[in-house]
Amino acid sequence: MRTRFVPMILLIAVAIGQIVLARAFGLTPWKGGGFGMFATLDHAAFRRVDIVVDAPGRSEALEIPPSLEVDVARAASFPVPWLLARLAEGVAARERRNGRAVERVTLTVWRTAFDRITLRATDQPLRTFVYDVP
Amino acid sequence: MLDTVLRLTAIAVLLRPMGPWFVQPALLALGAVALISRRWLRRSSLWAAVSLTVAIRIADDWPLADNHIYLLAYWALAIALALRAEDAPAALATTSRWLLGFAFVFAVLWKVVWSPDFLDQRFFRVTLLTDPRFTEVTMLIGGLSAADLAADRAALAPLPHGAELIDPPVIAEPPRLKAFAAISTWGVVVLEAVVAALMLAGSRAARLRHAALLLFCIVTYALAPVAGFGWLLLVMGLAQVDPAHVWLARTYVAVFLAVLFYSEVPWPGLLLDAIR
Repeated sequence: MRTRFVPMILLIAVAIGQIVLARAFGLTPWKGGGFGMFATLDHAAFRRVDIVVDAPGRSEALEIPPSLEVDVARAASFPVPWLLARLAEGVAARERRNGRAVERVTLTVWRTAFDRITLRATDQPLRTFVYDVP
Repeated sequence: MLDTVLRLTAIAVLLRPMGPWFVQPALLALGAVALISRRWLRRSSLWAAVSLTVAIRIADDWPLADNHIYLLAYWALAIALALRAEDAPAALATTSRWLLGFAFVFAVLWKVVWSPDFLDQRFFRVTLLTDPRFTEVTMLIGGLSAADLAADRAALAPLPHGAELIDPPVIAEPPRLKAFAAISTWGVVVLEAVVAALMLAGSRAARLRHAALLLFCIVTYALAPVAGFGWLLLVMGLAQVDPAHVWLARTYVAVFLAVLFYSEVPWPGLLLDAIR
């Protein structure tokens, strides 16, 4: 009955993988199956994504549209190039659907840090991703 | 005892429907079938299907699923495998002990080793002031007014692009709230470490193990808004109860129901209104 070890092995393997992704690639410790919830302030409420769209005669910061909220949440939780690229492509496609020119999408993922004593909050850039629209 | 464990697991699945359209109906149907039919309740294939469906839900919006969704997938798989064993209750008891032990080990490691802002109490100081799910608890225990809390939340909002004010506003933290943050910080980490150690210690520590897990659930889920996690921990604890200890099994069921009431009755708000 060695199969009974399978759930435990899965739990340990996923948790170790999550630790690697969080420590090396910026995955929020709250997500990914590593049991880092309620352990740190580095989570979705204190991460945000700024979107800037550039085109000739245009450089505009965008509000997050509802249709892209899930992609934004993914990119904020795990700001790696493939998730940021997926978000940027979504932004570019949405701009084109709405008849607006877009040549470049710049995404900046910010994390809020709090002072140890005063709790003063400051935003720190976590990742910047530039997507040149083909 | 095994039937109660399986039924409560099915109830936990039904109480918190999850996932996209192609996952939620399947999970609800599996949970309902498990409750209606005792034959299906004890079928390994049903629990394997629950585990697979939850895994699909995790993969579909990875990495956004919460940790207890992962634990539910492991637990449903553990049930599926245990139901194929000669002594299913014993197999499930052992697996649940390991799953709980390692889940708590990783929870403690994150708090103690890899988080820079937990042991210095920043996590609870900021969370109590900013997380809307703790608003009533913060006002009740910390003695803050709604206006104080709103001012603190405004003061804790960062300026865009890393800018800082020359003369930033001071955050009002009553001593009671700071003390509550300190107690929460050390209470959570000590209790989680005790549960982890006792779960992995083997059958020698059975009574203490149950006491620690029940205490953790009674205290934590009165305040933490994650009932789904609490139900899962309690069901996994119940799976380890000796069938002769009926009173202990009933205690687990009672705490399962208490967590249900914690999640559905806004008791901090009602208490706050009553003392105003």
